Amino acid sequence: MISLVEELVLLAVEDDGKIAYTAGSHDFSMALVGACLVELNLAGRIDADLETITILSREPTGNVAADAVLRQLDGSHASVRQQVRELQAQSGELMKATLASLISRGVLEKTEARFLWALRSRRYPIVDGREQKEAKLRILSILLSEDLPTPHDTVLIGLAFAGGLLESFLTRRQIAQLSDRIGEIGGLDLIVRGVEAAIRDEAELRAHVMMLSVH
Amino acid sequence: MNTLIDPQDRATLVAASGRLDFEASAAFQKELEAAIAAAAARKAAVIVDCAGIDYVSSAGLRVFLVAARAAKGASVAFAVHSLTTAVKEVFDVSGFGRIIDVLPDHASAMTKVGAGA
Repeated sequence: MISLVEELVLLAVEDDGKIAYTAGSHDFSMALVGACLVELNLAGRIDADLETITILSREPTGNVAADAVLRQLDGSHASVRQQVRELQAQSGELMKATLASLISRGVLEKTEARFLWALRSRRYPIVDGREQKEAKLRILSILLSEDLPTPHDTVLIGLAFAGGLLESFLTRRQIAQLSDRIGEIGGLDLIVRGVEAAIRDEAELRAHVMMLSVH
Repeated sequence: MNTLIDPQDRATLVAASGRLDFEASAAFQKELEAAIAAAAARKAAVIVDCAGIDYVSSAGLRVFLVAARAAKGASVAFAVHSLTTAVKEVFDVSGFGRIIDVLPDHASAMTKVGAGA
């Protein structure tokens, strides 16, 4: 079974193997860090509440991306909200490590092509699509029903929405229609709540910087 | 963390106390799931008294989600009551009140699950 971080990254892979444009956003970067924090929480390496992250163990989990985040946590008891903003700069490395993991599991392939003689284009075609299809179907099934999700699916839905990945298989109108249900489910996890707060903080900061540059 | 389980005719009463963090979460989850399975066999409800829980972490909060899922799957009425201020704040922020019945006291919880006098 693929991990939560892998499942989140898999949702960012388009049918032709390109990585979705959304995956370059601040929102996705923070969602990816959040997924690593949840992996660490589920593996008993950290615990978190509304105020702080507590490190329980430094022993690696075997998940390369989550372990990279674990190494970066300095034990300062910062909140999820703060840590996610601080660690978002690492998201490129986390993405690379997770793509490599998906390739080694045989879920993705890696191809490279050149166009205009020089520019390289890297793609990650999905091998049989089962894992991605299964994740999308699970998300849709939960959103369209009144079932209670598993903790794993709660986080996946919350972070996929926060990272802008639901738009890869739902229209904006559908997302708007389901927004209450998405909010209800995603919010059930405290780490996802921290990621959402970090994304709001970043958006406010960017808006503030933009206003300053206009004046 | 300590848990007392009192199976009564129409509801199993679970009284939990202490810190519900990662360390305590697996054992508490097992106890709740066992209480729900036993209550399902008796067609009884499960009511959790949270008055003694003074802390809930992200791992602890997931226990309530897993329990609520198990209760729904087994058609067992499930409610929690008497949340301390710290736990209530976590429930409020996460919106848990929208998926499980959160009541102020034992009597209202009993009434809510249909086990009141």
